[in-house]
Amino acid sequence: MESQMRSGAKQIERTGALWAMLASSLLAVVSFATPALSQDAAPLSSNPAAQSAAAAQTPPGENTGVYSDPFSGFNEPMFTFNLKLDDWVLRPVASGYSFIAPEPVREGVGRFFDNARVIPRFANNLFQLKLAEASTEVARFGINSTLGLAGFFDPAQELFGLEQHPNDFGLTIRYYNIPTGPYIMLPFFGPSTVGDTIGLVADGAMNPMDYLLPTWITITVSAGQRASEAVNYRSLHMNQFEEADRYAIDLYGAVQDAYLQTRDHEVKKLHDEQW
Amino acid sequence: MTGQREKMENMMMPSSIQRFLQRRAIVTLTLTAALVLSLAPSFFIAPAFADDPMSVVKTTVDQALDVLRDTQTPLAQRQDKLRQIVSATFDFTEMAKSALGYHWKQITPAQQQEFTNAFVAFIEDSYLSKINEYNGQQVSFLRVSNEGPQYSQVATDIVQPKGEPIHVNYRLLQENGTWKIYDVTVDSISIIANYRNQFNRVMNNSGYNTLISDLKSKQAALAASLANH
Repeated sequence: MESQMRSGAKQIERTGALWAMLASSLLAVVSFATPALSQDAAPLSSNPAAQSAAAAQTPPGENTGVYSDPFSGFNEPMFTFNLKLDDWVLRPVASGYSFIAPEPVREGVGRFFDNARVIPRFANNLFQLKLAEASTEVARFGINSTLGLAGFFDPAQELFGLEQHPNDFGLTIRYYNIPTGPYIMLPFFGPSTVGDTIGLVADGAMNPMDYLLPTWITITVSAGQRASEAVNYRSLHMNQFEEADRYAIDLYGAVQDAYLQTRDHEVKKLHDEQW
Repeated sequence: MTGQREKMENMMMPSSIQRFLQRRAIVTLTLTAALVLSLAPSFFIAPAFADDPMSVVKTTVDQALDVLRDTQTPLAQRQDKLRQIVSATFDFTEMAKSALGYHWKQITPAQQQEFTNAFVAFIEDSYLSKINEYNGQQVSFLRVSNEGPQYSQVATDIVQPKGEPIHVNYRLLQENGTWKIYDVTVDSISIIANYRNQFNRVMNNSGYNTLISDLKSKQAALAASLANH
């Protein structure tokens, strides 16, 4: 009886995962198939003024095109929601937490969460045939989980000079020149694109615990983990929004561009481009 | 806990000695090279040709660091000095034009002038407001990449007393024989491109009048916080 229930729960979980995959791939297909929605197609072709500006000489590293933002009707309220969430929940909690826990502790906690997320880093380095980087991740996990006391310290870097090689499925998509799709502002998770959202789901599905434990436990645990990670990160970057807002004319645009430029740069680095 | 830290430091000793030896070798090499190079121009080229991208960036940053370190002089004077240093090597007109993107051609010449002035004041005050945050950061000049005869990029790191270095790159443009900075990237985010996206959104959503009034009010807020220090 009990085993039947358990297999039932697993069944539901599998169907849930399947639905999530289906929904996100549908979203992807729709946004890639519609030229107006595709990140790369829209801005220059639809605006004659932009076209003539692009025809003029462009300094290296500068892009006269502008991002299309077909989901802005969803993104803008979501951005406001995230800011409010930060204002009312995340910031106060993080500030209370940073009052209790000294900075070295919070940095250790950050490293602990980082260490625990080794599987997506390993797998995506592997997907990009970066074998040395993938095996470094395994070695780092082994060293830091033992010598580094479950990841609170980073002796792999400090004693053995093994650097972390951050990677995720959103980057794998970009690495193989598959368009990442339009920009999306996700609730709780923050800035993303269609491709990066698929990546988030794919990387999340790589946690082996999700397949061993009942769904309600994994959901509760991962939500709790996500929340404490967010609080810990925020406590280490206490005045990041105040800073950003001081120098921004349009905060939404500043965050959007910073996110897209950063992701662009991350994939360039994966292709070993120095600049 | 302290025992562990000591142990970690002990284990790191060999590599730090190694690093020191490497550094000494580099210093000797640099000194020799400098000696050779300082003699060379007198044989080959008549004028000392100091105007290359790296030396433009280095001179500017070194001068700015001198002002930041000098806590004796009154703040207002230091700000004036910093403003002079920055305006000598930054091509503000090009920056304003580039930040407005294709909208630049859609506004009148008078508006272009108004926008340039407002943007320059805003950028200057953004940099000046960092003056009180300086606490011993060092700048290391990493490398130059020439991107055609007209364009160049200089990579630097701001080395902090604590934490990761901040990667700052300067993009330069050669005009009438002099190199001027037209963009700065911070941790690989181009500042001008970031403002371009912001300005584009404001221009498309609400138009030029909103953009200029937003820009002026942000600059006024920065200037007010500068005056309070």
